[in-house]
Parts: sequence; structure tokens; C-alpha cells
Amino acid sequence: MPGAERETGRFSDAFLDDYFAECDEHLRAIRAASLRLDAGLDAGRLEPAAVEQIFRGCHSIKGLSGMVELGEAETLAHELESYLRTLHEGAHGITRPGVDVLVDAVMELERVIVARRDRAAIPDVSAIVARVRAIAAGGAAPHVPTAAAALPAAAGRRWQAVYVPTPAMLERGVNVNSIRERLQALGTIESAVPEVAEGGRLAFTFVVALSDAEPASAEWEPDGVTWTRLANVPPARAEAPEAPAPPAAARFVRVDLARLDDLMRIIGDLVVSRARLADSLERMERHVPAAEWRAAQEHRTALDRHVRDLRQGVMRVRLIPVGDVFDRMVFVVRDLAREYGKTVRLELHGKATEIDKLLIERMMDAVLHLVRNAVAHGLESPEVRQRAGKSREGTITLRASTVGDTALIDVEDDGQGIDAAAVAARARAAGVEVPDGALDADTLLELICAPGLSTRERADRGSGRGVGMGAVRAAVQEVGGTLTLETDPGRGTRFALQLPLTLAITEAIIATVGDRTFAIPQAGVSEVLEIDPAAVRQLENNEIVPYRQGTLPLLRLSRVFGVPEAPRRARLHVFVTGRGAAAVGIAVDRIVGQKEIVVRTFADRFIKVHGVAGATELGDGRVVLILDVNALAHAGEMRGVR
Amino acid sequence: MPGVPRAARVYFETLAAQRCVLGVTVTNILVVDDSATIRRMVRAALQPVTDARFVEAETGLEAIERLAFAPVALILLDLNMPDMHGLEVLRFVRAHTAYREIPVLVLTTRQDEDSRAAALAAGATAYVTKPFAPAALAAEARKLLERGGVGAGR
Repeated sequence: MPGAERETGRFSDAFLDDYFAECDEHLRAIRAASLRLDAGLDAGRLEPAAVEQIFRGCHSIKGLSGMVELGEAETLAHELESYLRTLHEGAHGITRPGVDVLVDAVMELERVIVARRDRAAIPDVSAIVARVRAIAAGGAAPHVPTAAAALPAAAGRRWQAVYVPTPAMLERGVNVNSIRERLQALGTIESAVPEVAEGGRLAFTFVVALSDAEPASAEWEPDGVTWTRLANVPPARAEAPEAPAPPAAARFVRVDLARLDDLMRIIGDLVVSRARLADSLERMERHVPAAEWRAAQEHRTALDRHVRDLRQGVMRVRLIPVGDVFDRMVFVVRDLAREYGKTVRLELHGKATEIDKLLIERMMDAVLHLVRNAVAHGLESPEVRQRAGKSREGTITLRASTVGDTALIDVEDDGQGIDAAAVAARARAAGVEVPDGALDADTLLELICAPGLSTRERADRGSGRGVGMGAVRAAVQEVGGTLTLETDPGRGTRFALQLPLTLAITEAIIATVGDRTFAIPQAGVSEVLEIDPAAVRQLENNEIVPYRQGTLPLLRLSRVFGVPEAPRRARLHVFVTGRGAAAVGIAVDRIVGQKEIVVRTFADRFIKVHGVAGATELGDGRVVLILDVNALAHAGEMRGVR
Repeated sequence: MPGVPRAARVYFETLAAQRCVLGVTVTNILVVDDSATIRRMVRAALQPVTDARFVEAETGLEAIERLAFAPVALILLDLNMPDMHGLEVLRFVRAHTAYREIPVLVLTTRQDEDSRAAALAAGATAYVTKPFAPAALAAEARKLLERGGVGAGR
């Protein structure tokens, strides 16, 4: 379908957002089911429910795509549906090439839909359509009866649950869908039959194989459900097994992210008002009786807690499990492994870890790139690995976890590690100054992130926009995170992304320099030191202080921003940011306190100042700048502070 | 009907069950499809030609439950749904006197003759395939509403 036809306003245009959201849900379910199918195939297990789910998802996407006139998606979904129907009807069982084509086709389907969303050129699907057709037509593997054909596994006891709906129950939100979902949680629904009983009353009769001993009748009675135990005979007619619950649609609402952003903004205002109130209260202390003041203070503390809870509550709404993103990596890795001739096992840890949806989306490309690097450059070929005394199969581990207000994502491989000498040589050849001797991990990271030095040995087919390591680090830093590297020649490489859990509100340390006040986000600070100004040494143009076993370059904020320094103080306060050799100390005059601040980034690019992440309003109405410690530390390096 | 409290909705549904809200006859159209997007599209397509209220169901079982509590002048029925196939819903409707007369418009992606024949044999009044043209669907629905004789549209 030529692109020109897509320009004009049409009936379906008003539904595009719904279309993308619904396709997203279907694709997620399809991906999860494909993984089960894939794993089942390896284990010699048939997964009729997974086939059923993929079939259903493709069917829905086909119908929807037709309505929005996305012919490529409609065609592809249709071919997939036809192929799956042959499996479904047991024409032939699923095979390894079948699953491979299926997975490729689903990825292509997603690309088509994403292209439509991004108004990009729609990929040509004819090749993949031909592959699906070929696999559907031929290669009939010996037919293995699916588990569906076998009667219900000797699963537990069978019960009959009769549900009689009434208007009063509907009012309470109890309906046949919610009842069915509850039943599904208890066991396997073998059949569901509606009947009109005497007196015209409607009743639904469910036959359920329970995994647990006995249903708690008392819990069900108020919702119009009565239980009867059935004799243990096979059902009279074998119903198709219940498809796994369509992602429990009834219990979820779809919310536009913009609305959540609005909520977040309102909470931000609330945080500011609360801080103002606290400030006014402080000033009132002298003028009100102690008892009254104490009561007001207590209310304020309660308010603090509620605002914090509210913020966390709304934040949680925005959080989604990283599992979805991780599942997607399984397909990417499988694809890449094939492309590069590697044998790869992907281990996923912490799939249930929940991270801000927007953040995940922004980090997706970065993680993808790290995974791609791991397969392409990190892992050795099976032959090389064997010669090195390692298992033929390489392992890539993706790990997600949260610690306080930060989320951690690790991409680790057990490959050959990064050849520091080669990187150094390449850097020197490109005219970059490289310190002599062994490179530490941070300098190495610095070099591989440097523009023009990215290891671009060959144009990766899938990499598309050519995201280099520099772009990966930029993406991480953009959201206020840090990227670190650990590599062990011959043993493997680990990239760690440390990200803020949420983007809008954060804990910060408030500090002053001269007569200026700054806010420093706590996530970027690894340590706060108090040092004797006498310990500061001069090294060429720079100042350093002893730190741990070595030294720490010192950056005086007063000099960075040209603020007159306060008269000499007995102690100097220093924030340590960055790790290892990349650590930099940022010196301020005084630390005033610690606060929850609302980050407002500058919308105007012209007032973008290096080292400043945004602004926030303190309780007293003052607007203060929020420091971007990573950028500051970086600026220090660039000036050759180290 | 998003935004309307459930209690109010049920109240109106009960009133609608008496086919009378403030003396005005209310027609209900039941839209059955497991896709919320398709249900919205169907409503948007039909809205211009009818005053009817829309009742939605995302599964076959829910469709039958809905039927029991709101008299319906027309059913738009998807075929391929989880938990109960559209044809089974159709057979149920045709098998019960209370619902037997309701026109049923089957709206499906199945474009083959066999599927059409099976639906008509099971008692479908009309058969429209997806993707549908909004105007064509509206015309078909209007025809059925008028023929059904229950509170026809404008």
C-alpha cells in the first residue's frame, strides 16, 4: 500500500493510539508465549496453550491492522494465523525451523507496527511472508498429538460452580468475567455454559478442576456462586482447553502517560507548597504558644509522610517490570547469535524489578547496544572458547535490581574481555592522548566512549542508527545515571547502568558556595567528606586532596561558577562523585541540609549550561540550580584536572 | 461508558430495562468484541445513524449476561473470541424465546464462504467482514434496526 494514501484524515485515524496500545499488549503476550513455546520445544514438551495464545494475538492484530489500513501488518498477521491454524488443528507439530520463522515474523510484525507509529517507512514484508508460507506448506514433521487432545491431566478434584448474576451484583462490579477470572486462579476451567433456568433466570455453569482441596463456599456465596462436588468422571464433551486469561483485562485500565505526568507535576507543586509551609512554620515558632506549635509541627510531619506516600504511589503506577524488555532481548540474542555464529545462553535475573516506563523506553536502545556488543565482540566463537578451556556456549547475563532510589541494570558476558592494549593503540592512532602503563577500567570506558573510537569493525545489520558506546553513555547520563565498566581479559566484561528510579522528584543535598545555594542530587554523590583546607595540595594548575589510598582531584564550585568564595573556613566540604579513577571531589562552603526536590529541567536549549541539570524551588521561594555532578566531573577531566 | 459511576450506569440500565427513561424510548445496541479498539470503532461508526445506547461485552459469556439485564435491539457479534465462540453465542440467542427475535449482525475477519454459510445457518441476520467501511456498517445496522421495528434511529 503506497504511503501517499496514509496522509489524509480517515475514520481510523482517531483510533491509532488505541491501536498501538492494543497491539502492544498482544505483542507482549505473543512474545511471552513464544518463549514458552521455544523452551518447551527444547525440553520436548508441547505447549498447546502457547500456540493458542499466539494464534489469538495474531488474529486480533490482523483484525485491528485491517481497520487502520496497515496492510503489511494485516498480511503478516494473517499468514502467521494460517500457519498457526495448521498447528492448532494438528496438521503437523511445531518444529525448530517453525519456531525460528515464527519468532522472526513476530519481530517483523512489531517493526511494521512501530514504523507506522513513528511514521517511518514501512518495512517490506514479502520475504518473511514467503518464509512463513513455506514453513506452513511444507516440512511436515511427524504429527505428535498435542496435550490438548489428551483429556484433562488427572488434575485434582472436579467441581461445578453455578453463577447466577443479579443487577445488584453487577452494581458491585461482580460479573461473569470477574467470576471466571477468580475461578481461573483456583484451577482449570473445563467448560463454561450459560443456561436460562426456570423463571427466566440466567445461570452460568462452570466445571472447574481445582488444584486446592475445597473452595471456600462462604467467600463465593455473596457473589452468587454455589459449588457442588462432581464425581470424578471425565467431562462428557471435551471442550477446548481454556486459553490462558487474556491478560486479565478487566482489572486493568489503560492510562495516558501524559495524565500521569500531570499528576506528577501536581505532586511536585505539592512538595514545593509543603516546603513553604514548613518554612513559614519555622518563622512562626516564636509567636505561637509552644503547645500549639508542637501540634502544627506534628501535622506538618504527617503531611510530609502523606506527600511522600502519594508521590511513591503515583510513581509505582508508572513502574513496569523490566521483564518485558528482557524478554525482547531473548529474541535479539537468538538473532544475533545466528548472525555471528556464536552459541549463546541468555540468563535473566530480576525480571520482576519495576522501573519507570519512560526510563525503560529511553534505556532500551542502550541496553540493546550493550547486548549486541556482548554477542558480537564480547563472546568468542565456540571453537575459540573450547580451545581456551571454556564451555562452547557463552553466557550473557542481564540483571536488574533496585536499591533505594536507584535502579541497576547489568549486562555481563563471560567472553574475552576488552583488549585494553588494542583500544589504547587505536586511540593513539586517532590522536587521543592515552596515559602510559596499564589502563584502569574507567579510562578504558572513557576511550571506548570517545567519539570516533567506537569499535565499528563492521556495519552491523541490525544496529541501524549506529549507536556507539558514546551514545550509550550519553543516554545514561541524560537521565542522571552513570555507566561503569569492569572487564577481565579472558574472563568477561560487565557494564553496569545505575539509573534514577524516577525522573521528576529526587532527594538532594542543599549546599552553599559564597552567597549562592545549589542542590546536588543524592544519587550522583557517593560520599561526602569533610577535609582540612591545609590538606589541599597544588599540582600544576589543579588542586588535589588525599583520598583513600590515593588522591582526589578537587573542583571548587566557586571557581566553576565564578562565585566569590566565603572567607576561609576551618573545614572544607567535598562531595565525591564518580568511582575509582574517575572520582572527582566537588568542594562547597557549607552543607545546609537534605531535601526532596522537584527537578525542573530547562526547556529552552539556549539556556542550557554545562554542569547544571535544572532548577528547583526551595520552600522559601528561592529558585536554586541543580548541579549535574556527572557533567561537572567530566568537565574537570576535560580540563585535564586528573 | 467510561467516566460514569458504575452505580449510575446500572441505574440507567435498569431503567433502560423498562425501555423508558423520562418517557423516551431507549434502544440498546450490544457490541461484542474482545478488542476494545474495535468496540470503539463500531460505536463511532453507528453513532451518526442512531440514538441508541451502546452496551459492550468483551467475551461471549459477558454478552449473554448483558442480554439478560438490558433489552437489546441489535447485536453486533465478533466470532473469534476467547471463552465462548461467537457462533455459540448466536445459537444461545436463537435458542431462547426472550432473545430469539433480536437481529444479529456478525462482524468478523473470516472472509471465506464457509464461515459466512455457517454463521447464516446458525441464525445470523447479516454478515459483515472486517475491516469494515464505517458507512456500510452503519447502513446495514440501520436496516436491521428498522426491520426489527424496535425504536429505530433517525
